[in-house]
Amino acid sequence: MAMWALLSGLRGDLTVYAAVQAELRRQRVDTLFVLGDLIGPEREANALLERLQQPRRGDLQPHCIYGWWEEQLLAERGFRGERRADALRQSGGEAAVAALLQAVDPGHMAWLASLQFGFVELDCALLHGSSTDVGDSLTADTAPLQLLDRLTRMEANRLFTARSGEQFCVELCGGGIESRLRDLEGERQQHQSVPSRKVIGVGSGLHYTLYDPGSDHIAFRRAGGPIHATGRGFV
Amino acid sequence: MAHAVISCLHANLAATEAVLCDIDQLGIDTITCLGDLVGYGPQPNEVVELIRARQIPSCQGCWDEDIIEGLNSCECSYPSQLAERRGQRAHHWTAAQLSEENKAFLASLPLSLRRDRLLFVHGSPNSQHEYLLPDMNAFAALERVEAAQADTLFCGHTHRPYVRELREGVIKMRLRRAVANPGPDIEREVDLPVRRIVNAGSVGEPRHGGTSATYVIHHEQDDSVEIREVPYDVERTCQAIVAAGLPPLFAWRLRHGFEYAERADDASHVCER
Ligand SMILES: [Zn+2]
Ligand SMILES: [Zn+2]
Repeated sequence: MAMWALLSGLRGDLTVYAAVQAELRRQRVDTLFVLGDLIGPEREANALLERLQQPRRGDLQPHCIYGWWEEQLLAERGFRGERRADALRQSGGEAAVAALLQAVDPGHMAWLASLQFGFVELDCALLHGSSTDVGDSLTADTAPLQLLDRLTRMEANRLFTARSGEQFCVELCGGGIESRLRDLEGERQQHQSVPSRKVIGVGSGLHYTLYDPGSDHIAFRRAGGPIHATGRGFV
Repeated sequence: MAHAVISCLHANLAATEAVLCDIDQLGIDTITCLGDLVGYGPQPNEVVELIRARQIPSCQGCWDEDIIEGLNSCECSYPSQLAERRGQRAHHWTAAQLSEENKAFLASLPLSLRRDRLLFVHGSPNSQHEYLLPDMNAFAALERVEAAQADTLFCGHTHRPYVRELREGVIKMRLRRAVANPGPDIEREVDLPVRRIVNAGSVGEPRHGGTSATYVIHHEQDDSVEIREVPYDVERTCQAIVAAGLPPLFAWRLRHGFEYAERADDASHVCER
C-alpha cells in the first residue's frame, strides 16, 4: 500500500509547502492530508491558498481540513453564526485578529468555509485537534485516559492530530479496568481491556509525518527546507 | 450524615411530593436536585414552586434549558418523528404554562453543583444532553469523572438509576517522540484512579421498568449509595396529563413504567446544535 503524508501548521508559508511537496515527489507517497492551520497571522496566505486549491503540475493533490486559525477567521468573518474569533482575541488581542484578517483575501472564504472538520479514512481519524474541539491540543504528555477517550469518541484505531505541533506517537498497548454496576436488577461486574490504539501528532510546518496504512508504520520527517539544514526527524 | 439526590421530576407533582415525603420521613435534610423539573408532566409551575419553596439546590436539566433557550436540539434525541412531535407539543405546552417568575428561576440554575469531590450534573459534565448510560465504555465513563476533578459524579437524564464503580484501571503505553536523538521508546504503565458514577434515576418519569419514582441517598459516613424506589399515586398524574391535553402516551408510559418507550435512539449522540 502506498503511504500517506500528513502535515499541518503551514500558516501561509508557501516556501515550506513547496519544500514538502518537492520531497514527497521522491517518495512512495500517494495521498497528502493537510490537517489545518493553512493560514496564520504572521504572513499573507493567498499564494499558498491558491496553490492548495489549484495544485501545480507534479504536486500531490492535498486533502485539507480546517484548523484552529481557519476556525478563528471563519468565525470573525461571520461563517459561524453569532460567534467571533473570541479565542484569538483573548490570546492575541485585536492586533492578532486584524493581522489574520489581513492575511487572507475574502475571495478564499468560500473555499475555507467548505473545508471539513476532519476525515475518517480506513480505521484512522484525521483531525486538527480532537473530536471534542478543533483547539484540543493533544501531546505526548496528555493523560492516556484522555487519549483513549478521544479515540473512543471517534471510534477509530488511529487518531492523527496536529494542534500541538508536536511529532509523537503514543501507543496504548495493554491494561484494563473493572466496572461494578448496581441497579434495581442487582449487581454485576465487568472487565474491559484497553484496546490497541495509537494517537499520532503529525508535527507542524517542515515537520511532517509519513504513514503506511498497510504496515501501520509511522515515520517522522523534516523537509530539507530553507530554514535549518539539520534534520530533526527520524525514520 | 445522609444526603438525598433527586433528578428528572418532569412536572409530576404526585411523584415529587411522594419522594420528598420519603426523604423527610428518613430525617434527611440535605437534598440536591439534578434538573429536568419540567417537561412531559402536567404540573410544571407546581413542581418548580415546590423546589423553590423547599430551597433545594438544583442544576439545570435539558428540558429546563430548552424551555429557556427555545428548542434547539435536533430530532436526533427522538426515536421517531411522531415522538418528536409529541416532545415538541409538551415543550410548547410547558413554555406556555410556566410563569415568567418560574422561567426566570429555571434560567438561573447552574449547570453543575460541587461539594468537595462530589459533582452534581444533569447529563454529563460536558453537556446536559449527554447520556451516561450504565453500559457506556468504562474508560470513557471514567474520563468524564476524572476530567471534572470529582471522586463521585451524580447525574440523571437517563431516567434509570444505577451506581457504577470504576476501579483497578491501568493503561500501558509506549511513547515515541521525534527529537534529535530519539533513543528507545519509553514504556509506561499508568494507574487510573477509582471513581464512581451515581445516576439518581427519575422522580417523575421513570424508565427502569417499573412505575415507582426513584432517587438515591448518599450516606457520607461509609460513602455508600442507596437506590430508593417510592410508589406514588400514578393515576393522579395520568389524569392530569389527559386533562391538560398533553399526549396521552405520556400517561400510558407512566402507568406501565415502560423501559423503552420513546427512549432516544442513539443515546451516545450529543446534539451539537
Ligand atoms: Zn429527564
Ligand atoms: Zn434530561
